[in-house]
Amino acid sequence: MGTKTTVMSVQEKREYYLKKVYMVLPVISLSLLLLLWINVSKSSAFPSPKDTWDRLIMLFQKPIKGLNIFGHVWASLVRIFIALAFNWTFGIAFGILIGWNKTCKALFTPLFNAFRAVPPLAWIPLITLWLGTGEFPKILIVIFGSIASIVVNTQAGMSNVEKLYLDVGTIFNASASQKLFQIAIPSALDAIFAGIRTSTSAAWMVVLAAEMLGAKSGVGFLITRGMDSIDMPLVLMSMIAIGIVGALLAIITQFAERLLCPWTKKSN
Amino acid sequence: MEQDLDLKTISNEERVKLIQAQRKKEQYKSSMLSIAGVLGFIIFWQVIAISGLIESKYLSTPIQIVSLFITKLTNPNPDGAVIGVNIISSLTIALSGFGLAIIIGIPLGLFMGWYRGFDSFIRPIFEIIRPIPPVSWIPLTIVWLGIGLKAKALIVFFAAFVPCLINSYAGIRSTSEVLINVAKTCGASNFTIFRKIGIPSSMVLTFAGIKVAIGNAWATLVAAEMLASSSGLGYMILMGRQFGRVDLVILGIVVIGVIGTLISILIGMLENKVLGWRKL
Repeated sequence: MGTKTTVMSVQEKREYYLKKVYMVLPVISLSLLLLLWINVSKSSAFPSPKDTWDRLIMLFQKPIKGLNIFGHVWASLVRIFIALAFNWTFGIAFGILIGWNKTCKALFTPLFNAFRAVPPLAWIPLITLWLGTGEFPKILIVIFGSIASIVVNTQAGMSNVEKLYLDVGTIFNASASQKLFQIAIPSALDAIFAGIRTSTSAAWMVVLAAEMLGAKSGVGFLITRGMDSIDMPLVLMSMIAIGIVGALLAIITQFAERLLCPWTKKSN
Repeated sequence: MEQDLDLKTISNEERVKLIQAQRKKEQYKSSMLSIAGVLGFIIFWQVIAISGLIESKYLSTPIQIVSLFITKLTNPNPDGAVIGVNIISSLTIALSGFGLAIIIGIPLGLFMGWYRGFDSFIRPIFEIIRPIPPVSWIPLTIVWLGIGLKAKALIVFFAAFVPCLINSYAGIRSTSEVLINVAKTCGASNFTIFRKIGIPSSMVLTFAGIKVAIGNAWATLVAAEMLASSSGLGYMILMGRQFGRVDLVILGIVVIGVIGTLISILIGMLENKVLGWRKL
């Protein structure tokens, strides 16, 4: 036997080269995207990468409403955290209630479905009509926008608890509350976490729209500001910031899920 | 416990009947409860509105909403279009963006899931676009395409495209290895396996993606119409807000909710038809 590289079969060689190709392809596609961006920006109103970068620097030197980009991102984040804290307590509690208790399920499901059928953003005019455009209405919009996903997931998790587990509980004479707290809720935990993840990303989207329809701070406000003053680099810069924060939120929630319920990690 | 003793002495047929009767009773009870819940809510709403706890400026009664719906069928005031026109214009936008997302998103997801080269080429671009909420495309699309049908369809497309792609990708990735190996043993080419095994077995997840996509499309449409439009249900709500007509706003919300529900029922029926084999 010679060295390892010389005895590769045809198949292995092919595999080896393909792997190299697969590593190069993302680089090619990303540079193509960048080239496209530069080209488009030359011939239209679309801002170029350099404009966008300059606008970011300028925002640090000349903050809008006294806040630079971090300030605006933080303003939006505070809104969604307050809303999510509410949703994670009441949404999960409500989901457990309608997932566990048949009477409550029959009573509330149609109403909840009707509520869910209305897109979160459609509430904005009604809420602003009722409560004005202060801080509380915006948080309320985010609550409305992200509570459905957590309730649905919790309910699904609670009503799909493996029957066997509950039967074992019955055999060992578990009381109703023991069955609920020690069997059903732990086994629904991964579904609940899926709800937490989707509600976080939904909240991030809704806060943006809520801010676009009237706010004095936040990333959504930056976008409308750019739109009103035809400042496209500002719009694009805010979009990129939103994308980055959204991706970070997704990563953080995923990480938290791994930490808190490691058994949900898929084997692939 | 007494019932258990009873069950031992009765015949099988009687037992089946007993259980069926029990089930029927339970179903009846739960549907009664559901109706009671909805009715209770509507009555509660009516009572609150009439009692004057909340000013009529802020809350109109369900009866007013229904009568407004009937007048809106023929009367274009105050937003300039009768409700039928608004519904049709919203549906056109939602369905064109959604259709585009299906036509582009699903094949793209399938190809990405099957061909690794394609995956590693497209995926970075997709991962960059994915976390940007569709609503934030609105200013750019206005600059590019104005506030017509195309711009809004593009925004709806962004919203519906992501779940279509992700689900068809995950669906084809979860194709059973055994089925692929059987096809290989029988001498099928890679493309034949893709067409005859990969695509059918991805359909369950793909349909789940379509359901999410239509929900997203409908929700984003409302935002698009509120931010950049001169017709449609979202615009009607916004006009109601500007004229301080709370009944118009609530009517718009109800209509949007009802249509969204109808669409998801339709998709569910289509799913049952296409994926009927799943029940076997």
